[in-house]
Amino acid sequence: MQKFDFNNKSLINQYDNITYIEDSGVSFEEMTKFYSDLMQSDNGDNHDLIKANLFDYILTNAKIAIDKEDIFQEKVFDGDLIGLQRKKWLSDIKDGVLKNETLECLNAYNKYGSYRAEEDLGHTSPNTKALLKLGFKGLINRINDTIANKKLTIKQEKFYNSCKIVLNACKKLANRLSDAILPFNKENAIALKNIANSAPNNIYEAMQLIVLYFFAHEYVYKTRVRTLGRLDVLLYPFYKNDIENGIYTKADVIEMLKYFFNKFSSAKVPFGLPFAIGGLDENKNEVTNEISYLIVDVYKQMNIYSPKIHIRVSPKTPVDFIKRVLSCIINGKSSFVFINDTVTVNALKKVGICEKDALDYTPIGCYEPAVWGKEIGCTGGAGVNLVKAVEYVLSGGYDVLTGDFCTFKPAVINTYEDFYNEVKKQIKFLTDKCIDYVNTIERYYSYLGPDSMLSAQYDDSVKNGIDVLEGGATYNNTSLNFYSLASLVDCLSVVKEFVFDKKIITLTDLFTILKNNWKNNLNLRSKILKYNAKYGNENAVADKITIDVTRYLASIVNNRKNSRGGVYKASLFTIDTCFYFGKRTFATPDGRLQGETLSKNLCASLTMDKNGILSLINSVTIFDHSDFPNGSVLDVVLHPSNVSGNDGLNAFYGIVKTYFDKGGFSIHGNVFNADELKKAQQNPEKYTNLQVRVCGWNAYFVNLTKQEQDAFITQANHVS
Amino acid sequence: MKANIFEIKHFAVHDGDGIRTTLFIKGCPLKCAWCHNPEGLSVKSELAFLSHKCINCGECVNVCNFNAHSILDGKHVYSRKTCMTCGDCVDVCPEDALKLYGITYSADELLPLLLKDKDFYKNSNGGVTISGGECLTQPDFCEKLLKSLKENDIHTAVDTCGFVNKNALDKVIPYTDVFLYDVKAIDNDVHIKCTGQSNKIILENLLYLDSKNCKIEIRYPYVPNYNDTEVDKIGEFLSKLKNVTKVKVLPYHNLAGSKYTSLDLKNTLPFVLPNDEQILHAKKVLSSYGLNVVD
Repeated sequence: MQKFDFNNKSLINQYDNITYIEDSGVSFEEMTKFYSDLMQSDNGDNHDLIKANLFDYILTNAKIAIDKEDIFQEKVFDGDLIGLQRKKWLSDIKDGVLKNETLECLNAYNKYGSYRAEEDLGHTSPNTKALLKLGFKGLINRINDTIANKKLTIKQEKFYNSCKIVLNACKKLANRLSDAILPFNKENAIALKNIANSAPNNIYEAMQLIVLYFFAHEYVYKTRVRTLGRLDVLLYPFYKNDIENGIYTKADVIEMLKYFFNKFSSAKVPFGLPFAIGGLDENKNEVTNEISYLIVDVYKQMNIYSPKIHIRVSPKTPVDFIKRVLSCIINGKSSFVFINDTVTVNALKKVGICEKDALDYTPIGCYEPAVWGKEIGCTGGAGVNLVKAVEYVLSGGYDVLTGDFCTFKPAVINTYEDFYNEVKKQIKFLTDKCIDYVNTIERYYSYLGPDSMLSAQYDDSVKNGIDVLEGGATYNNTSLNFYSLASLVDCLSVVKEFVFDKKIITLTDLFTILKNNWKNNLNLRSKILKYNAKYGNENAVADKITIDVTRYLASIVNNRKNSRGGVYKASLFTIDTCFYFGKRTFATPDGRLQGETLSKNLCASLTMDKNGILSLINSVTIFDHSDFPNGSVLDVVLHPSNVSGNDGLNAFYGIVKTYFDKGGFSIHGNVFNADELKKAQQNPEKYTNLQVRVCGWNAYFVNLTKQEQDAFITQANHVS
Repeated sequence: MKANIFEIKHFAVHDGDGIRTTLFIKGCPLKCAWCHNPEGLSVKSELAFLSHKCINCGECVNVCNFNAHSILDGKHVYSRKTCMTCGDCVDVCPEDALKLYGITYSADELLPLLLKDKDFYKNSNGGVTISGGECLTQPDFCEKLLKSLKENDIHTAVDTCGFVNKNALDKVIPYTDVFLYDVKAIDNDVHIKCTGQSNKIILENLLYLDSKNCKIEIRYPYVPNYNDTEVDKIGEFLSKLKNVTKVKVLPYHNLAGSKYTSLDLKNTLPFVLPNDEQILHAKKVLSSYGLNVVD
């Protein structure tokens, strides 16, 4: 296998400037004409079929490109036609029948920062197990076997035809690429030919199949594929067989992995493309194998952050494997998250997933666990800004920054319990709003985005002839995320102490002060900031509020029915809403100024974890994380001196292991010092390679907004 | 029996193996010129006043029963003479400009604060370190606390300058898993210049611990113009011991300057900092004596 050249810019940056082979396909004009003609036949009830036909047209006729210096091929010019199609269908619904409802949600998101509710056709996890086992051809055969001698409805017939069309299209693309690369790389040409006609025979073909499939699905068919699945489980049988039979050596596979990772890195897949390694299989055996180690070792050599890697950790995961990953993070390669198998499996069982399936979960997107190849999680469409509930209680239902009336007027408040109950009612109100909209728009999924590529891989979808996005998967769930738990807990704790217990200020006066953004009340604000009953500090008052709030949040979401035959799963992570919603949230009782960042993920409010990381972890794990089956995460920031040398590595391991022993769901981290970040902020040109873990993804520090950079600097300062 | 503690440091990772909680006990018999914990020198509690953080708000004046704080011409003035170090002012200071060094605890009071992080110790091969000041100025307290920790299956370390009564060592030896032992100089004149005291007892005690088969981790604070000439002598001395498991060279830093000011203590910190080559060289020399030199 040819050596991967880290200095080969055209290989590393192959997605920056793609040159398609001129005579390899039709012109863009021809493509758009086909598209226009095709869309004439859109009758609203045949979207799976016309999407499949468009996909087939592109893969069969559009221009292709080859990378002579690469060992994997996948490029075809798609003209964003399916993107266009999808936009039109979305607009038909969101600017049409659901116009008012959609506008209300857009306002909630953009104007008020109170909740986010939208369709989620993009948090999908393909059944890469079936794909690698059967190949495109095998998947077609499976459909043919399923429908043989079976009476199909018209809808089912369309469904199966669409699946077969997209699979066949992939075969055609593989053949076209094979022919094009043949003069330059015979081995690659053979691999492509083989995956067009059968299941992959070796690890090289397996990787080529994943590459081709992924780019066809994500870049042409326009489905956000948010994981490749459990990569070590997928590749190991091929690896073992190849080594035993002398087909490829370990050194070959190391080179292959470099090309493989580079493909996803160079394409700059938004938010990074994840896959999982490690953890238990459905028989409770640890899967970590030689490939898992190779993946981490190769990744450590490359200066990339996508693909991003989910490390499943069970009590049986080898300690040296976890430490190997930690040493990557210590060395600035932080695109990893550790996910706790024990808690995840318990959490999934709570929403009706059987243990065997739960054990075979794969995290999709950031941390959200979904059963591999059996569950459609729709994990990113809904979320509520918890702090907004406090704003609405204090303001009587008004958005403070705009003056708009948004929810409802609370009842008379005489005690802390009254106040807390009103906050809960506002949270419930926002949650219901969110769920109502998501339930409504989910009923249009067959119109918006049937997904034949995905359905063709899902066992139950194929068995029953139902698209995965219309409830065809084994589990058809939806998730709702609660943002900024720590900020809410701190607000409640401060109101309890300062308004009701100590009676230092009335609720009305507090609201006046907040409306004025603490102006002329800095003294009170410093007292509040200094007040120690805050989330994340092993404080009994704050911990009690945390337990109570989280129980409540779980109770209003988990197992509520969605409109695709599944249930809702609650989660606690913030994505980028801590900044985005923070800007739209009034000054809060916890001392936060108007517009400032809200608390992130399961972290304490910025710099409020005054007792250090161990106390933070003890408090964060005070509530039952398995009540949040769509996931949660704690970000830790460590100073390089904390993790230097072997002592430091052991200490870092101790953090992760103890977090999991105490019931933490997932954890990731950054190791840096504030001075370095400040230098990077001032001289970005010198720090172009400095990567940071943002939420469930990595970014280059210099590409973050000033507000995000400052938040990291504040955090780094705080731990130094 | 209580000890005056000036800091309980959670998540200490360089005071012995793994994640540790380190207790710093006040009072030290030595007076090292480079001392970076001057708040540990006196056995008595002390209030630190960080004037650069003070906003002259007067909150401390309102709560002080001993007239230790006053505002004169709009500026906060602190009187160390009248201060009873009760710490009431620390709680109300909005800017954390006041800090109390020295809160007395019994071993029983400390135990829950140490045990709460037991899982972290276990998962990182860490534990509890008693340090100072010089913790063995309070041997009975240390003995009791260490014994309780061992009863709870916690790994224990004692960080000592060695200038202590041998009886004190005897009290803690049965409950101490590792001694973190400072060696500043072998040459007695150098030692006196550095610390104000002879090293006779210190070296005797080190030999004594070794003879008792105690696990010892040596710390050599490297201070240019003070004890940088001692590398070879230290290496030679240590090479004769059987139970030294690790040797650490601690490069002198002068980051403690503001602590001296905040405590109204005379700043004795040396000016010259070691450079990387000097430290590397010292490590190399020590290694050449067959010692396990670690970072």
